[in-house]
Order: sequence, then C-alpha cells, then structure tokens
Amino acid sequence: MRRLCIRLLEALLPVDLADQIVGDLVEQPDRGGLWICKETIAALWHLRRQRAKGEERTMRFITDLRIAARLLRRSPGFAAVSILTLGLAIGATTAIFSVIEPVLLRPLPYPDPGRLAFIWERDRDGSRDNVGFATIRDYASNARSIERWAAIGSWLPTLSGNGDPERVNGDRVSATYFHTLGVHPALGRDFLPDEDVPGRNQVVILSHGLWQRRFGGDSTLVGRPIAIDGNPMTVVGVMPASFDNVVSPGAEIWRVLGYTNQPWTCRTCHHLRMVVRLRAGVEMGAATAELDRIHAQLVQAYPKDYASVGSLVVPLQFEATREFRPALMALGVAVLLVLLIAVSNVVNLQLARAVRREEEFAIRTALGAGHMRLLGQLLAEGLLLSALGGVAGVAVALVTIPLLVSRLPAGLPRAGAIHLDIGALALVTALIVLLSLVMGLAPARRRRGDLGVALRSGRRLASGGHRATRAGLVVGEVALAVMLLAGAGLIAKSLLRLLSVNIGFEPTHLLSMEINATGPRYRDDQAIYANHRRVLEEVSRLPGVSAVAIANQIPLGGNVDMYGVWDADNPPTNPELVPSGDRYVVSPSYLRVMSIPILSGRAFTEADNADTAVKVALVSAALAQKLWPGQNAIGKRLTIGSPTDPPRTIIGITGNVKHRALDANVTQQWYVPEGQWRQGADNQAVVVVRTPGDPAALAASVRKVIASVDPTQPIVHVATMEQLIAASTAQRRLALVLFAAFAGAALLLAVTGIYGVLAGSVAERTREIGVRSALGATPSQIIGSILEQGGRLAVLGIVLGLIGAIGLTRYLRALLFGIAPDDPVTLVSVVLLIGAVTIAGCLIPAMRAARVDPSRALRSE
Amino acid sequence: MLGELEQLVLLAVLRVGDDAYGVPVHREIHRRAGRDLTLGTIYKTLSRMEAKGLVASHLGAPTPERGGKATRCYVVTAQGKRSLQTTFKMLRRMSADLDVGLEPT
Repeated sequence: MRRLCIRLLEALLPVDLADQIVGDLVEQPDRGGLWICKETIAALWHLRRQRAKGEERTMRFITDLRIAARLLRRSPGFAAVSILTLGLAIGATTAIFSVIEPVLLRPLPYPDPGRLAFIWERDRDGSRDNVGFATIRDYASNARSIERWAAIGSWLPTLSGNGDPERVNGDRVSATYFHTLGVHPALGRDFLPDEDVPGRNQVVILSHGLWQRRFGGDSTLVGRPIAIDGNPMTVVGVMPASFDNVVSPGAEIWRVLGYTNQPWTCRTCHHLRMVVRLRAGVEMGAATAELDRIHAQLVQAYPKDYASVGSLVVPLQFEATREFRPALMALGVAVLLVLLIAVSNVVNLQLARAVRREEEFAIRTALGAGHMRLLGQLLAEGLLLSALGGVAGVAVALVTIPLLVSRLPAGLPRAGAIHLDIGALALVTALIVLLSLVMGLAPARRRRGDLGVALRSGRRLASGGHRATRAGLVVGEVALAVMLLAGAGLIAKSLLRLLSVNIGFEPTHLLSMEINATGPRYRDDQAIYANHRRVLEEVSRLPGVSAVAIANQIPLGGNVDMYGVWDADNPPTNPELVPSGDRYVVSPSYLRVMSIPILSGRAFTEADNADTAVKVALVSAALAQKLWPGQNAIGKRLTIGSPTDPPRTIIGITGNVKHRALDANVTQQWYVPEGQWRQGADNQAVVVVRTPGDPAALAASVRKVIASVDPTQPIVHVATMEQLIAASTAQRRLALVLFAAFAGAALLLAVTGIYGVLAGSVAERTREIGVRSALGATPSQIIGSILEQGGRLAVLGIVLGLIGAIGLTRYLRALLFGIAPDDPVTLVSVVLLIGAVTIAGCLIPAMRAARVDPSRALRSE
Repeated sequence: MLGELEQLVLLAVLRVGDDAYGVPVHREIHRRAGRDLTLGTIYKTLSRMEAKGLVASHLGAPTPERGGKATRCYVVTAQGKRSLQTTFKMLRRMSADLDVGLEPT
C-alpha cells in the first residue's frame, strides 16, 4: 500500500513536489497505511494544479483519459452496454471460478494429498459399498501398497451440560485417523493406539468451531471430561481452525472407534468407510490390483460373508467432490460460453464504434495528429472502459459469490474456502481488457494513404472490412445462444420430469423433525418407546395437527439404513446375496400420515404391539415382487437381518417410495411396528406431522411440545417435506437458474448483434437501396433481401450451435433425468425460438430499408 | 488580509525557524492549533504563498531517513511578516471593546 502510494505520487506529481511529499511520508514510518492513503489522495487533489506543470507524457495521458470520459458520457448507451457486458462477464466468470477452484481443483489441504484415497468394496454391478471392519483389518495388514489406514463410522452424539442439549455431527474413527490424513490437533494430543480398544475409548477430539461455539475457546478444556450422550468423555485435543475436513465435511467431534471383536466387527456389517495413505510411488491402479487379489482370497476364505467381488480405490480428492462434480462442471462450461459471448460482444461493440469514428480520426489526422497521439487516445478510452468494467466485475463477483454459496447443495466439501479469487479476477480481466484494447485500436490501424478515401467517402465505404468480422461474431453469438438454450431446456425438462416423478407418498402439508433420546435414562428400549408414545400423544393434541407418526427414518431424509430380508421358510445359502430393504420401524400411524397407499392387505393398527404373539410386517410392492415373484406375498413369513430374528407375517403390501432421491432407482422397503422391533430401539427418530395448513408455521409449536416432554432431547433437521424435495433437486435447480440466465443473456446479445449488423448494413446501403427502388424493386422485395441477409447469419449460427449443443450436452448427462442429451423436442424448440427471435431482430432494419425514399437517397450525395 | 490556512502555515514556519519543511510545519500546527492538516494542503498553501512572495524556499540536503529525498525549506519573507502584521492589526481593531471573550489571555 505504502509503495503503491509513493508510486502514484511520483508518477502524477512534478519531481520536485513529489520528492517533498514522498520524503515527508517516508520520514514518518510509524504512521499507518490508512494515513498514507489519506495523505496521498489529499496531495493529489490539492496539488492537481501543480500537476499540470508536470511531465508532459503523464499529463497527456490524463488529458486523454479526460477526453475519453467525456466521450463516454456523450454516448451513454455504448458506455453502459460495454461496462455492463464487461462487468457481467468478468464477475460471473470470476465468481464461478472462485467456487470451482477450491472445491474441485485445489489440492487437498493435507501433506502429500495425492496419496490419500478411499477404499470401497466393489459389488457385482460395479457399485460401491462400505467396508466391513474385519475386511478393513485384512486389507490393511495384507496390502503392501497401504502405508497408513483409518476406519470411519458416522456418529451423532448429543452434548449436554453447558446450556441446551445439542446434537452434533461427528465421526467414530480409528486412532490412526488424523495421522493418516497427516494433520495434528492444535491443542492437546492425537488419539493413542492403546485407546482404540473397548472401555478405553472414552476420549474425543473437538473441531475448532465446536470448541469456540460451545466451550468459548476455553483452553483448559483439554484433559477435562464433557458430557456426551449422558456419559463423561475426556477431551484430549482440539483441531486447528485451519483443519479442512474433506472426509466428512460436517463432522465437528471425533471419538475413537474402539472395536476389537464386538458383534459389529464382522465382515458383513457395512457401516464403516476406509481411508488410506498409499505408500509413496504406488499408483492407484496398482493398489486396486493388489486389493482385488486380497479380496479374492477373502471371498474364498469366507464365501458366506461377501456379496462384493473386489475393491475400489478412489482418490480422496475425487471422492470428496464426486457428488458435486456434475453441477460444477456444467456451470464451468456454461460460464465459459458466457465469457465467449461477452468477449465477442465487446469486440463487436468496439468494431461498430470504430466504424463510426473512422471519419473523426481521418479529420484529426488531416489536422496533423500523429499516429502515436491517436493510438494514445484510443488506449486511454480502452483502459477507462476496462477499468470501469473491472470495477463492475468485482461488484458482480462480490454479490454473486455469497449468492452462489448459499444456493450450493448442502454438504459441499471445502465450502469455507470459497471467496473471491483474486488470481482468477486478474486473469479474466486481463484477457478481456487485452482483447478489447486490441480491437479498440482498429481505427488507428488505417494507413495514411487511405486518408483521402476515408475523408471523401465518410462512413459509407469505410467499414467494409469489419463487416465480415462482425457477421462472423454474430454467427458465433447465435451458436453460443443455441448451446446455452439447449442446456437450459434439457435441465428444465429434467427438473419437470423429476418433480412429476411418483415419490410414493403425499409430500405437501408434511412437517418432519428429528429427535434424539440420549443419556442414562434411555438405556432401556422401553424408555425410548415410552418417550415416543408421549411425544405422539402431546403433538397430536396440538391445534392444526391432523395426524402424527414416528419412524426411524423417512424418505428423502438423507438416511441409508437397509437390512437384508428373506423368506423365512426358504432361507438363502449365502445371506450376503439376499435383497436389502430400507428399514422402517414405525408407529402404527406412519403410513397414514405419509399417505403411502396400502395396495392389498391391511395397515398396522394399535393392536400390533409388543404384546401380540404374531409379529407382523408390511413390504413394498417391489420387495414383494423380488422375494415372491408372481405370488401373493400376504401371509408369507419374512426374516429380517439375522436368522435369530423371529419370522414376521406379512399383512399388507404398500406402494413403493423413493427413499434416497427423486432420481434414484426404486428401492425396496419393509415396515415393522415400533413395539415389535427387538433389535435395539433407535435413539434417533423422525417425527412426521400432517396438517391441513402450512407445515412450516407449525414447526415452533411442535418443537415446544416435544421439548416439554423431555427438555434434554435435542431437535434437529426441522424441515417440511417440500423443503427436503427441494434439497434433493438443489444441484439441478442451481444449474437451471444459471443456464437460463446465461441463455437469456446470450439470446439478447445475439439478437442485438444481428440487429446491429443489419442496421449498419442498411445505413451503408441506403444509396443502393434507393437505386433499386428507383429501378422498380417493391418494398417487399427489399424487406426480403434484408431478411435473407439476417437469415443467412441466423441459419449458419443455428447449425453451428446445434453441433456444439450435441457436444456440450454430453457434459450435462449427470444432471439430466429421463431425457436424452440430444432430445429432439428440446432441440427443435430451441431452434424455433432462436429463429423467431432473430427474425424479430431483422425486422426493424428491414422496415427501415423499405421506407428508404429513392429520390432523397439519390440526391443526398 | 491573509486566509486562515495562510496564517496558520506562516506562523508555523516562523515558529519552526530553520528547516521549516512539511513534517515540522505539520507537527507545529497540530501541536499548537490542534488542526490535523494534510501535507497536500500545507504544500499547496506554501506554494501559493511563494507565488505571492510571502515565503521563499531553498532545497535542503537529502537525508537517509527521507529515503534520499531532499527537503524544501521555507522562510517567511519581509512581505510575509508585513502581511501577518496587517492581518493581526485588522483582527485586533475589529475585536476591540467587544465583550465576547476575545481579549488576550
């Protein structure tokens, strides 16, 4: 800042004066930067008269700038369009790049990040699955390509004491976790290997954010116990604020896994993820090959424990962004197109202006202005425009980035690292400025020899050379508009299809929230169920509540909780190959509240409780079809999860629901009444409320009532079902909004481009048109010839655009749903739209041509 | 009649004596009058007064703590002193016998 100020003073003030002020500034080094700025500005302002006596070159440039400013003020239309185009292009490109760069491109903030990878079990169909704990241990001890490894399971603890109970996101990790990533706590210590056993694993590490938020950054916290799920656990460390958690973006607390040989250390319990650091120099491919070999040996040794056929090694960087890559890549492509359009538009504007000013420059040359003088003038104009465009661009980027961030899908890794990317801003600005400068200099390129021609002919002949360039640019703009419109159309259509998908339940007027029963009072399953009953009772009494239910999970709530199920009277040979179904342990009212149809049989009643001898279940139509193809499933007996589970009689078939996402394949569901579930009550449960009115308005009162039942249970994820559906389509919505905006801008620019070219051409051809009509051409013939000229440009642009669109939309495939990337209906509508709009753009110049009065056109020369 | 800025700067130059350039003049005005003028204002006033012949200047020696830049030191000319006298006489005559707390303290 100091140096910049001194430079400014030295550049803009006469040497003697600058020396005095700079000397005075340097002499007081302990004054702040703000003071220096103030002094500099004051000096430049107060001594502006003295500046006039300063160096001539600097002065001339300032004069040029002043003239340029006056010129811009005199053609506000040109100035506004140029600055706006520059600003939008610079701002949008910078904003999107600022999002993409940290999320997709920047190396992960860990030492040697290229060696970090996730390992998954690979199923028959190539899809991934979590890795069982025993398998993780076998992989780790047998694979030479693995240097360090860690197992990660999700954990949702409730913190109590120190204010309201709060449920936080966390991870259960093996003690090697942070060591594997290569990060260390800022306070305290890492987990110790001998803490990774049952009984000794009551230790946690906190994120910097949680430590600050809940514990006020108390540095004496390390070594002290805090209450977690009602148990004391010792805080051994706090991670640094700079720790960017890519493995689980939301996790704020970590506890040691402490597995040795509990029931869930089996090969078939797929609830853990495995992250490894590969040995230096080991390629991902080599690691995959080695793990595949080890996996094959494991399958051979334990044939009943594996459904998977191999393993997958996925770089951490790729895995972390897998979900968001399609939307971000599509945005990247879209913004590149916008940049192209903006550049071509700026070039087009400059050319148009150059044409209009050739006469002016010819006169100035004739009056004795040197080539350098004219160049300097144009340079000043270009710089002024670019500077204003750059300022507009920064403003656009500053407004857009937070807007983009707020609309980004939840759970985006490294979202905290997103801010204005100065490098990108500089690069984009430099590119656009350079281009507009080069093009802006066009009028000065005219040789002296042409001077006579230029002076004599005025604007009529002078612009011929630029017309081809401008026509080319217009063709390009039409093509880009076609591509963007095709993208927007495809995404819009996908979104419509997606929203009209039958999700299997009635999402309107539904409110959901998650409750959590933790602590010593809920050790007993019956206590949890009693709590649920009281919650149901109290909530159902609220005015505006027509029905209420509790379930362990709900569709589109983001949970994946599946159990293997099979025909109890026909047990499978390999239990790992049985179909899985989404587990729904529910209060009897659940299906009614969700409006999930009963296709045959009956729903649960209050009588289906713990006391009845016959245990019952409902299955979705898809699961019934899978287990008993072509038969009536009602009355069949179902085993869930483990052979020791008592067989359950199927009493009804329900409609299928979309459990994971609107665009996911249909999964299979089974339902069991809460009282009859004997494999452990769920601490977390979802309360679903149906109301005839606005569900969001009910949230506060439902919360209050649940808190009144037990104030220690945290309530999280309060959302209406429609919000959950919106979240499930967030990526596509974002892409659609941006594509539509970009496509609209592209269309507008293309039309103004065509209009500009034709209007210029009509103005130049006034005499020719006059001659034609004098010789008997009818107005319709003249209109036809102008339309033909515009039509040729539009058709060429559309053809190129269609080719481009077919190439581009391939990148959109991941965002499309139920529609092919070359969907003919979309492409035809785009072509019709562009055709109609461009013809409209041609009409005004064509009408103007038809109104040319031959006698006046001929006499005017 | 001198302007307010001119009075302040002239008096400050007189007070500083030798070596009256930007920094000490600024400091003097700040310390005595409590006015935090910018250096630009001071130099602008000085150069205007130099044009009117109220001050004269000469280049001083460059010093390392100024980054090798020379100082330009100002002295008040006889005409400058006369202008000050005139201004102050005028002020005194205007304020004489006014009971509004303008007496010298």
